[in-house]
Amino acid sequence: MNRQAFIDRLRLGLSGLPAKAIAEAVADYETHFAEGLAAGRSEDEVAAALGDPARLARELRAEIGLKKWEEQRNPTSAAGAIFAVLGLGAIDLLILLPILMTVAGTLFGLIVAAVAIFAGGGVVFAAGPFLDPPGGPLTALLGGIGLMAAGASLGAILTLIVIGLVNALVWYGRLHYRLLKPAIESQS
Amino acid sequence: MVEAVQVQLKKGVLELCVLALLSQHDSYAYEIASRLAEGIDMGEGTIYPLMRRMQSDGLVDTYLVESSAGPPRKYYKLTEAGTMSFSTQKAEWAAFSRAVEIILGDAA
Repeated sequence: MNRQAFIDRLRLGLSGLPAKAIAEAVADYETHFAEGLAAGRSEDEVAAALGDPARLARELRAEIGLKKWEEQRNPTSAAGAIFAVLGLGAIDLLILLPILMTVAGTLFGLIVAAVAIFAGGGVVFAAGPFLDPPGGPLTALLGGIGLMAAGASLGAILTLIVIGLVNALVWYGRLHYRLLKPAIESQS
Repeated sequence: MVEAVQVQLKKGVLELCVLALLSQHDSYAYEIASRLAEGIDMGEGTIYPLMRRMQSDGLVDTYLVESSAGPPRKYYKLTEAGTMSFSTQKAEWAAFSRAVEIILGDAA
């Protein structure tokens, strides 16, 4: 692999990061090549000694993600840091997947519960007044509306959570793809 | 497996080695990388993410020095925190390696 191929693969691995971070990293390795050539090594030798550019890109990416999290502690940078580390292959999908399944299962259960509460409220509202309930027809009507409102708000909250979760998953998928693609190509 | 253990071991001591090199004299990334590559057989490219982290951790500082050939070189020097971290880590490493030596010695 010559200098240009190395730098191209590095850029590919870093794509999506802030332009300044990419420029700095590229400048570092360009300097390394220049020093190596000055010391009498060939581009191929320098590239071989540097190691796999895709893996280096993953490490740099993780480094930058973690640094950002340290500078500003918010959910976005937290996710960035976590996923950057995941991208390193430090934590495998084998570990992530069961956690995701558990979270998704719990959410699904809660959604079913929200729908059931809403439907139950509907039944109480519609049928309650005709079944001579304790407290009179009005209690049944209000109770039914209350249950439906509770079900609806639970549903709304769950929807927000699901949207957030899916966004995170999509983002993770994209990041993983970006990370894996150069790694696969560099092996071929 | 053996390979994975070696990589982890080397990664663990890499920062200590860089601190040690810089405690002798200020240096630039290419020189640090070559010294470490011949000494402990590390990929030279690993040095850049590491230097970036050490800089953001405040262990090292950089300054530019004009070079006779090519663009100015970025030199790294230890900060006060870096010097302190070096002596702490060096002591930890000495204690750890002694403990491992004793256990290995018992097993032989």
